[in-house]
Amino acid sequence: MSERGLHIHQLRASAGGTQILKGIDLSVEAGRVHALMGPNGSGKSTLAFSLTGHPGFKVESGSVTLDGADVLAMPPDKRAKAGLFLSFQYPAAIPGVKVANFLFAARQALHPGDLPPAKFRALLLEKMDLLDMDPSFMGRYLNDGFSGGEKKRLEMLQLAMLAPKYAILDETDSGLDVDALRAVGESVNAMRASETGKNTGFLIITHYPRILQYVQPDVVHIMIDGRIVKEGDAELAQRIEREGYDKIREETAQIA
Amino acid sequence: MPSATLERALELRSGRERPGQFWKIDLDAIDFSSLKAAPASDPQIAAPSKPGLIACGLETARRDHAELFNRAFGSVTGTLNDKFAALSAALCNTGAFVYVPPDQSIDDPIEITYTAKNGALFPHTLVVVDRGARCTVIERIEGESADVVCGIAEIVAAESASVTYAAEQNLPLESQAFFTRAASPGKDASVTWCVAEVGAALSVSRIDVLVDHPGVDAHLNGFFFPRQDQHVDMVSTIRHNVGESQSQTLIKSAATGRGQARYLGNIRIAPHAQGTEASLRDDALLLSPRAHIDSVPALEIGANDVKAFHGATIGALDENLIFYMESRGIERESAEKMIALGFFEPVVERFPTAAMRDRLRAALEAKIA
Repeated sequence: MSERGLHIHQLRASAGGTQILKGIDLSVEAGRVHALMGPNGSGKSTLAFSLTGHPGFKVESGSVTLDGADVLAMPPDKRAKAGLFLSFQYPAAIPGVKVANFLFAARQALHPGDLPPAKFRALLLEKMDLLDMDPSFMGRYLNDGFSGGEKKRLEMLQLAMLAPKYAILDETDSGLDVDALRAVGESVNAMRASETGKNTGFLIITHYPRILQYVQPDVVHIMIDGRIVKEGDAELAQRIEREGYDKIREETAQIA
Repeated sequence: MPSATLERALELRSGRERPGQFWKIDLDAIDFSSLKAAPASDPQIAAPSKPGLIACGLETARRDHAELFNRAFGSVTGTLNDKFAALSAALCNTGAFVYVPPDQSIDDPIEITYTAKNGALFPHTLVVVDRGARCTVIERIEGESADVVCGIAEIVAAESASVTYAAEQNLPLESQAFFTRAASPGKDASVTWCVAEVGAALSVSRIDVLVDHPGVDAHLNGFFFPRQDQHVDMVSTIRHNVGESQSQTLIKSAATGRGQARYLGNIRIAPHAQGTEASLRDDALLLSPRAHIDSVPALEIGANDVKAFHGATIGALDENLIFYMESRGIERESAEKMIALGFFEPVVERFPTAAMRDRLRAALEAKIA
């Protein structure tokens, strides 16, 4: 099973005619937590959108495989069905579509017929409780009028309900207060401790290492100007915390 | 048949000329003089049994409730000088009268169903709600044959009365529908229109609230969704003639296929109508490259101490919303459908009964499929 994992090889991608990803090599392993760190504008979100198939981003070359399957050949919904999940930095608000109905439709799409409505509802309430979400959320329109923290909690709720093989969390920690941050961290840890989530591979995209105080990363990748310039263990995140990105930028510029 | 009245109606202009648009149908060129009218009949009326509540056909109303009926019949729509209202009045061959006595609160809706068959239908529904009374009326306009239906719905609400009138036009696709709906609420009265224009090849409708007393709370909710070659022309007008009142207008529309629609949303606040609060929101969704919606909010504000708000959007489905759903495993086609149905939900939710809301959701879903 050497193919197991989310393997990104020499990925180049552009948006609006500008190349942003300049040959990304990165592997996310099942059951491990990878942190992807980098300054603003380094291409972290472009990577997240290119992996999930957002129409605004064009993959120019390279390959992405998920447990051996060719991700780039699939439309976005098939990528989700293959086990890929993205927690959006800015989740879309969809008026008129209720949270519970949306989640049920998504769960049905990804795991057809595995949960009858009553069991689905019970599971939903359980996961919402874990995220300190009031049951009234179920009847609200998707992200419509939600605060920043509520949107991020809803992303985490979807993560828990959809149980993907590989989860990309794009700046899930940005704009969160400490309570929300802790709830997000606990939700990820609870998922990792569960039977359905213990093999999930995480790619946690973050600008600051705040969330990494709650979720311990196994591998840290540093991205600058559309390339992975450094990899290391959790200590690398601590170094970013102390020194910022400039020093690493200087070091790696010399190497290049 | 009072032919002088008909002559006058035929000569009236529709007042719906709007220059330079894609809209091709000349409403003033439609020939009403040669229509074969259906024989006079009563609609189907279902009403709860409540002391003093009247819900009957026009003949019964004229015979048994002459005083109540004659005082109000045509008292609102007759003042509009509207071509289609005048035609309907001149050729009226069916109708219903609802009267709710003072302080009577009717929870269950009064349901009136008009079914077009054997010729053109000219229905007139009159709802009179007395002081402090409350009721909900559901009007369904259906057809077994493709005919012209040119109707009136009229609400006279006394002081502190509260009335919700929900109309659902779902005629066969080859029909033509012309509706004039107008309400005159008294002091501190509350009036809610919910209008769904679903069927017919051509739907021309007008919805008015005449705010002539303070304390009025007026709500105007409507949606339409032309598909194939359907045409919809809707005009709504809230006329704030006195102040210290409020109104909310919410219109949602979509068009697909070669569906064409135009909507004009008027808010008129008279110079002395201080303390008026009026809002108008209309959103239009274009689901095919050959569909058109021309949506125009028109606020005419004569007073300075008022709160008036309007917001309008028009566009195709947002790719970011579609992608969000796709990223959760939902196929593109289903995602588009969910988003389009969701788009209508805020207005569908305002219709009065669960059965009606489900019927409307099903009708919308059928249009998207």
